[in-house]
Amino acid sequence: MATSSAPGTDLSTEISDALLGEAVELPPGLGPWRLAWRRLRRNRVALFFGGVFLLILVLCLLAPVYAKHIAHQGPAAENITGTVKVGGKAKDVVSTTGIPVGPTWHSRYFLGADENGRDVAVRLLYGGRNSLEIGFVATAITIFFGLLVGVLAGYFRGITDGIITRVLDVIWAFPAVLLGVTLGVSLALGGIGPLHGNTLMVPAVVVGVVYIPYVGKPVRGQVLGLREREFIDAARQQGLSHARIMFSEILPNLGSTIVVFVPLILANAILLEAGLSYLGAGVQPPNPSWGTMIADGIRTIPAAFHNVLVPGIMLVLAVMSINVFGDGLRDALDPRSKVRIAR
Amino acid sequence: MLAFAIRRLLSMIAVMFVVSVLTFLLLAAIPNGDPALRLAGRLATADQIHEIRVKYGFDKPIYVQYVRTMKNIFTGQAYSYTQGFNVTSEIKQGLPATVSLALGAGVLWLFASILVGTLAAIKAGKYTDRVLTVLAMMGVSFPPFFLGAVLIYFLGYKANIFPLGGYVKLTSNPAQWFTHLILPWVTLSVLFIGFYSRVLRSTILETQSQDYVRTAQAKGLSSRQVLIRHILRNSLIPIIALWGLDLAQVIGGGAILTESVYNLHGVGQLAADSIAKLDIIPILAVVLLTAFAVVLIAALTDIMYAFLDPRIRLT
Amino acid sequence: MTRLARRALPVVVTVLAVVSATVLAACGGGGGSNTSGGSTSASTSQAKNGGTITLIGGVAPDSLDPGFGYTTQAAEPDWLSYTGLVTYAHKSGTAGSELIPGLATALPQASADGKTYTATMRKGLKFSNGTPVKASDFAYTVERALKIPWGGSGQFIAGNIVGAKAYAAKKASSISGIQTDDATGKITIHLTAPYGAFLNVLAFPSLGIVPSGTPMKNLPNNPPPGVGPYEIKNIVPNQSYKLVRNPNWGQGALNIPGIPAGHVDVNVKISSNVDANALSVVNNTNDVYDWADTIPGSLLPQINSQAKGRYQKKVMNSTYYVFMNTQEKPFNNQLARQAVVTGLNQNAMSRLSSGSLIPGCYFLPPGMVGHPTAPCPYGDPAKGGDIAKAKQLVQQSGMKGQPVTVWSQQRAPRQQWMTYYTSFLNQIGFKAKQKLIADASYFPTIGNLKGHPQTGFADWNQDFPNPIDFYLLVQSSSILPTNNENFGEVRDPQIDSQSKKLGEVPTNKLNTIASQWQSLDEYLAKKAYIGVFGYQTFPALISNRMSPNYVFHPLYGWDWSSFSLK
Repeated sequence: MATSSAPGTDLSTEISDALLGEAVELPPGLGPWRLAWRRLRRNRVALFFGGVFLLILVLCLLAPVYAKHIAHQGPAAENITGTVKVGGKAKDVVSTTGIPVGPTWHSRYFLGADENGRDVAVRLLYGGRNSLEIGFVATAITIFFGLLVGVLAGYFRGITDGIITRVLDVIWAFPAVLLGVTLGVSLALGGIGPLHGNTLMVPAVVVGVVYIPYVGKPVRGQVLGLREREFIDAARQQGLSHARIMFSEILPNLGSTIVVFVPLILANAILLEAGLSYLGAGVQPPNPSWGTMIADGIRTIPAAFHNVLVPGIMLVLAVMSINVFGDGLRDALDPRSKVRIAR
Repeated sequence: MLAFAIRRLLSMIAVMFVVSVLTFLLLAAIPNGDPALRLAGRLATADQIHEIRVKYGFDKPIYVQYVRTMKNIFTGQAYSYTQGFNVTSEIKQGLPATVSLALGAGVLWLFASILVGTLAAIKAGKYTDRVLTVLAMMGVSFPPFFLGAVLIYFLGYKANIFPLGGYVKLTSNPAQWFTHLILPWVTLSVLFIGFYSRVLRSTILETQSQDYVRTAQAKGLSSRQVLIRHILRNSLIPIIALWGLDLAQVIGGGAILTESVYNLHGVGQLAADSIAKLDIIPILAVVLLTAFAVVLIAALTDIMYAFLDPRIRLT
Repeated sequence: MTRLARRALPVVVTVLAVVSATVLAACGGGGGSNTSGGSTSASTSQAKNGGTITLIGGVAPDSLDPGFGYTTQAAEPDWLSYTGLVTYAHKSGTAGSELIPGLATALPQASADGKTYTATMRKGLKFSNGTPVKASDFAYTVERALKIPWGGSGQFIAGNIVGAKAYAAKKASSISGIQTDDATGKITIHLTAPYGAFLNVLAFPSLGIVPSGTPMKNLPNNPPPGVGPYEIKNIVPNQSYKLVRNPNWGQGALNIPGIPAGHVDVNVKISSNVDANALSVVNNTNDVYDWADTIPGSLLPQINSQAKGRYQKKVMNSTYYVFMNTQEKPFNNQLARQAVVTGLNQNAMSRLSSGSLIPGCYFLPPGMVGHPTAPCPYGDPAKGGDIAKAKQLVQQSGMKGQPVTVWSQQRAPRQQWMTYYTSFLNQIGFKAKQKLIADASYFPTIGNLKGHPQTGFADWNQDFPNPIDFYLLVQSSSILPTNNENFGEVRDPQIDSQSKKLGEVPTNKLNTIASQWQSLDEYLAKKAYIGVFGYQTFPALISNRMSPNYVFHPLYGWDWSSFSLK
């Protein structure tokens, strides 16, 4: 995540003609969506990882069930001086020198404990809920505002375009992590307006804002092309209002772009949240997230490496599933697109 | 062309101006982040806090503070609040580590991604392509601090092959410099290899279907010659442009997470540490440096494109 | 942001050497025997001279300029490079808390009313740059510390010396309460009120004499010349610096009794990965581990096997506690506060910091004069808390279900402590939630009275070995609108009057009033004004190149002038 760059010059975010609705080589009788679905169905790898992601999602949603019926403790329940049976012997959950117990492979502390004697498996699932929730909310924010500013800039051009493009340039010129941390630190403390410091909404909004230009810029480019097309001219001549044209004529044509962007932004949002949490500007305790769990775990290297490994693997697996599935989706909709987000 | 360059330059300055103003405002808005309170120390009286406000100019309106801070940064007279170090010299101190990280990783990720991307394109749709896709996707899914922790744990603590972090100057010990940087290079590169190889793969696929490639094939050139002389040469242009931008980011301190997890004391870590101390001056300086590097390279790229491809209208 | 505390030196204390039985066992016995203060002089005379060693620390000094530096990481080298009129004996354990004359010919004498101190500057002293030392340099040094300003200047200088406040506020061109005579070397200091710890104030490294005319600003890259066995050189900000022996130390006028010359030069490296730092000392790549950094519990087994006999735990005078706001619900109720003190499981909290805490209930730490010997009023803290009793007390107090915000710093283990504390408060019947604040703005945040902080993390590391340094934090006169340090807004007439009276007794006569301090501290514990959760121990870890005959000073930790190679 290192760098946060820049999809940069339009070249990296340009959307090829296929997305503009002129699907080439269309077999007769098949719409672009059906065609894409056909292509996607053939991509077993992508489907497999799509399934993996769904599985992770369902598991995380079932976190309260796991906590109540299997682990018998909640995500914030601490048990620092307690003991747990491992292989028939009672073992300290946290040793007197502060080393948490590793995976027991039993219902309690299945994946071990963290420093505060909390059940890592329970926190992993609850943390996943938080990470994914932030990811989804951030993605919604990014897509909504990215579309809004992209469509406005592309449709009205001129001064509107000038202002919006400059604003996007500004956000874009910040390194994403640096911008995120700065925003996170200033907001996480006091919050602003309805955003209270300790809620998940702060990192979600921060992450969402950071990625707006990555959607806004390519959408703008696409709308610039669309507005010159005949059907828009036709709509204009019928006397439809600007809002109507944007909403019912232009927006539907952006469908496949949005579909391509959603997994891309989602994956990156989850990663950026993890990065912010690592730097202390993300999810605030005692709420877990995969990022905060890794960050906390790094403190107990080398004795309790499971505290890093468990949330880390889960995070990589989830993000990778989204990415592979998203890549398949992209291929299916537009084999030649180069849409990309660098971080 | 000249008019275009000037326009780009002006908009570059405007962007950097807004970036600096925003950063300044954001950090000034932190509740109880008033540096005077922190500087005054234990049980300071209202008088003393007031003295410090006056001394550092915190009593002035925010735009006056902004102008003063920016002036100090550009004249090399800016000092961090918490430690009193000259920020320009702190950045200069961090640059060798950051540049070493950027260049080494840059070379690594550029060549590796050309290799992987080309292979994936040649084998498009085949088994190899699928495997490479998954690997590339795995690469872009690793947060650097997690990958760093894993590498340090297994190759540092367990196998004892690599140091646990830190930076050694090239001039003081080249061998140590190298061993200290291998893991950071790999960590940073993994992400980019994932991205670049995917971009390159689709660019090659697109180029393959161009007329001039078909012509070359029809002329009876071997597929290897076509690949190298025609396809790759054209497909690499966007990759190199991207490479320039990302490199600029890393040099500007953008590799915060990698620098932090390996404790390289570079520009990015300076920014991270300063954020932890809520010390606005170094944060502002690093943000400006990064923004400058990115905006400059972006402008250069655009100009280069215009130069290479006369069809692009400069607006 | 020092690791230890944002302010002050953690100072002193007795080296209680190693602590509990568990610790002893963990140290494999080798660490058990402590290097006592007594052996110092003998060992130093035999110590080998020459060579360079490397000290590795996780946190950089706030500034090596004594006029600004206030953290342990700064005080340690500054103590050896900037001698003041008064300094501390170079000895381990309580012996090191003894005040001895530094650049003054004898300890400054107090007048009968305790408001005037007189001293004489030694003759023939020279700064490291060759400039002769004058009596007026003392006045200049004090003015500079006020102007920069040094973090302790408000409390210790402006709060005590006549005219210092006016000088700091630019209402006077010099401090009216200090008179110096360069010809005779005589120095007179007038105090606004008697202050028993004033000699301790003069011993702060920040009042180590610098030449008149030194710029009145923090010089972190190039600290000013000083008088001492060492000189600070080659500063690379936040990365490294070097302490080089003063070749003239111990000769002529620079032969000051009790301040020995160093044996080795010391390279200091800063690297924030403390695990790696500890390992590098275990593996003998570096020589000395910064005692102010914690050694992760995960490394202790390895240290005990590979560095047996090179690692010890040391105690210094610092207390960790949760403040409870005595003016706000629910902790304005004594039963509610008692519930916290009764139920808090200090063993659990210790595990959150690699087992580094010694349990206790008194504000004054074990190494401090006045630390009570009576059993704790609300149960033995070493046994872990009594949750059932605590629940009952909350019930009785009528505060059950009250919302509580727990304020917390971000850095480990403080954040983890407060996470535990929050969950504990919920367990005994409050509705608690944790509020995390960036480390740098934490104390200004909870020190802002308008925020009405209810409870949260607090700590104190002594500035000097006198209980008044701790009691300042619970005097009602210390309650300030901003930068308040009496976080719990404790207002108790008995504490106010008694601590004021005891605070006027000079540090070297503390033994005469030890029992009075004890009863006051017992009173504070009985009222449950603060919830003490332990005293920190610190690691002393060296490489096998180093001679184990070092001095571990009660105020500054490592005494670098005692380091030598085997």
